[in-house]
Amino acid sequence: MWKYLLKRFLLMFPTLVGVAVVTFLLIRVIPGDVVELRLAGDRGAASQAAIDAERVRFGLDQPVWKQFATWIAGVARLDFGTSMWTGSPIWDEIKLRFALSLQVAIMATLVAVTLAVPLGLLAALRQDTWIDYAVRIFSIAGLACPSFWLGILMILTFLIVFKWLPPMVYTPFWVNPWQNLQQLIWPALAVGYRYSAVATRMTRSAMLEVLREDYVRTARAKGLVQRLILVRHALKNAMLPVLTVIALEFAFLIGGLVVTEQVFNLNGIGLLFVQAVAHRDYTLIQALVMLVAGIFIFVNFAMDVMYAWLDPRIRYR
Amino acid sequence: MRHRRGWILSALVAMVFGLTTTGPVPAAAQEKPRSGGTLDFVVPSEPPSYDAHAEETFGVIHPIAPHYSLLVRVDPFDKTGTKPVGDLAESWTISKDGLVYTFKLRQGVKFHDGSEMTSKDVKASYDKIIFPPAGVKSLRKESYRSVEVVEAPDPYTVRFRLKYPESSLLLNLASPWNWIYKADLLAKDMHWYETHVMGTGPFIFVEHVKGSHWVGKKNPNYWDKGKPYLDGFRATFMSSSAAQVAAIRGERAQIQFRGFSPPERDQLVSALGNKITVQESPWDCLNFVSMHHEKKPFDDKRVRRALSLALDRYEASQKLSKITIVKDVSGIQVPGTPYATPPAELEKLAGYGRDINANRAEAKRLLREAGVPDGFSFTFKNRGIPHPYEPIAIWLVDQWRQIGLNVKIETIEASAYHPMLKRGDFEVAMDFQCGFIVEPDLDLVRFVTMSDANYGRHKDKVIDELYQKQARAVDVEDRKKLVRALEKRLLDEEAHVIWTLQWHRIIPHSARVKGWTITPSHYLNNQLDTVWLTE
Repeated sequence: MWKYLLKRFLLMFPTLVGVAVVTFLLIRVIPGDVVELRLAGDRGAASQAAIDAERVRFGLDQPVWKQFATWIAGVARLDFGTSMWTGSPIWDEIKLRFALSLQVAIMATLVAVTLAVPLGLLAALRQDTWIDYAVRIFSIAGLACPSFWLGILMILTFLIVFKWLPPMVYTPFWVNPWQNLQQLIWPALAVGYRYSAVATRMTRSAMLEVLREDYVRTARAKGLVQRLILVRHALKNAMLPVLTVIALEFAFLIGGLVVTEQVFNLNGIGLLFVQAVAHRDYTLIQALVMLVAGIFIFVNFAMDVMYAWLDPRIRYR
Repeated sequence: MRHRRGWILSALVAMVFGLTTTGPVPAAAQEKPRSGGTLDFVVPSEPPSYDAHAEETFGVIHPIAPHYSLLVRVDPFDKTGTKPVGDLAESWTISKDGLVYTFKLRQGVKFHDGSEMTSKDVKASYDKIIFPPAGVKSLRKESYRSVEVVEAPDPYTVRFRLKYPESSLLLNLASPWNWIYKADLLAKDMHWYETHVMGTGPFIFVEHVKGSHWVGKKNPNYWDKGKPYLDGFRATFMSSSAAQVAAIRGERAQIQFRGFSPPERDQLVSALGNKITVQESPWDCLNFVSMHHEKKPFDDKRVRRALSLALDRYEASQKLSKITIVKDVSGIQVPGTPYATPPAELEKLAGYGRDINANRAEAKRLLREAGVPDGFSFTFKNRGIPHPYEPIAIWLVDQWRQIGLNVKIETIEASAYHPMLKRGDFEVAMDFQCGFIVEPDLDLVRFVTMSDANYGRHKDKVIDELYQKQARAVDVEDRKKLVRALEKRLLDEEAHVIWTLQWHRIIPHSARVKGWTITPSHYLNNQLDTVWLTE
């Protein structure tokens, strides 16, 4: 078990290094340049002398290998440098947005899990009844509606019917919970619905599969009560693929809610990502990719740990 | 006392008699301003740094300008955005030879830390702008090439000595980017203002939450007693235009100072009725077509003229103004401003005549003469921005097809566009510019041969000479003639570039917002000292 976990843990580092190399090289292949973009502004003109001076300031006049060496040495010390667009330390750019994105991801996950597990279970237990059909329609509708579209519908409903709009500025939960929830509950619902649709379908199909397993039949034959069979034997085993889906969706939510963040004017990581790419802010893009990759890698590692806990075959391997 | 004449005339009078001017007052009798309230506005961009001397985006001006004063500012009630009035300068005189500008400063003006603003601060700020030390970025220093030295002979006098007279200097000093910083802070660290705020403006900095908002509160010690009227402001950063419209519609914000599109205006008017006021103006921004003069057949001026003659600008003005942010048919100066060509005279330029059939017949004749009677194919490169680039590009291609040209549009992602233009990697491309003040010197410098922004790579000594002459012309009428001659050369005789339509600025805002006047530039009029809110 410990050997398995250590192996998984150590595998995270070469993966991160690979991500670092690929990201660093790829963004330098894309046409466009942070210096020219920033100096050109709206007027569309900048002198070559000013551009050259800024390139030197950012170290962009150095050979690519040297730029990479400087950056990776900083990363090793957890120093991601400063944003080429704003000049602020990268962590200053990220921290507030990360807090917001993390909260939305957690809230959306809570919404999704609260809906998906009972609904999926119910649909599986009442297969091919009107309950199953209703759950399937609900979940297919969730898959078919992009969360940003649902968000637009919500905003329009608020505006037209209630003459109200959620607050435009993020207030941390510990500063003013009511204000915070007024802003974030809506994107969490919009995203959580789609997220729950995926998880509901996965829960249903996994449960249907598990309920047909021999060990469930054995448990029934032994005369175990239905609740015990479901919770201890069926649900625990059915949760393996469901947890995978939930975990990967959670990691995706940290940086992937670009359009939804625009619709609700959320100052999140997704929007920051898009702005960083549009500005060709190399240091910020690199840091964000490393952050999101790090979250994915960590979540995968956590899943591996969960698998080991849920599946004895992995523990005893 | 406020002078009401055009600034050029004012400058001339000042040269001879000296001139006294004070801060802005409303042009006409208006409602009595009410004090109190917080202005909520949205900003579609965010400041990269806090130092306007080193930045080029309105994302810096809109939230941060209320914290600063200028030496001279553009009259906030002047719709043309071309009349300078004093801000920190109480009065000024210009020597008869136009080589010395002397400004008398207001006394008792305080920085937000309580220290007094003196000529030392103005000199230090302008030295940073015009003569930045190595490692200090100043994006507009080239605009002050005529300035030899900035002097502070006493605490309340600032003097600019010029190498040669320059007609645009006074207006250039009213640039919204030229915030006055504190000399002592600059002496300690020339980069201090990139990350801090300390000015003499009507509002004091409270907080900036990156990606979210910017807050300012009333400066109780502002030099203009009784102002500002607002208790404070909150600028919320919002990149999505749909979210901006929703914010105003939902009354979470009262105004956005850059501009909305016609459909967005209509949507807000329809939803809010008399709770919304709409101000509109020609916008000092423009898309024009650059043709690569080193690539055939665009090295032939007959071909370039044919491309301009093919355009029905008047019909486009009617149709495109319904869907995107363009409207007026214009020459090289924004309509309604001092050097703009009157419409009747504009119609004499190639491609500006009202008879589109005659224009296109002439275009076809020129193509025949140039050896391409059956037309030719080329790629038109366009910037990947929806408005107004996409509708203009589609319109251009349609118009060119009508004289037998086969044009393919290639859309380049916005971030990669400027480098593409600089590399000259195009045959024909959409070019663009936005100005902060309508002034021939500022607007036309990019068309001289040696300009870094001469992407079409034309070489034209006549244009260079005309530019120099108009820049140094003392007489207004003489300067107008020179600007017109340059216009004719640029757009007609040589057709180095093809003008499309002037952008049109539309600001629908809450009817509660008073004391703010639209100008052709979205960089102007953001100090907010004159703005107030009704109950």
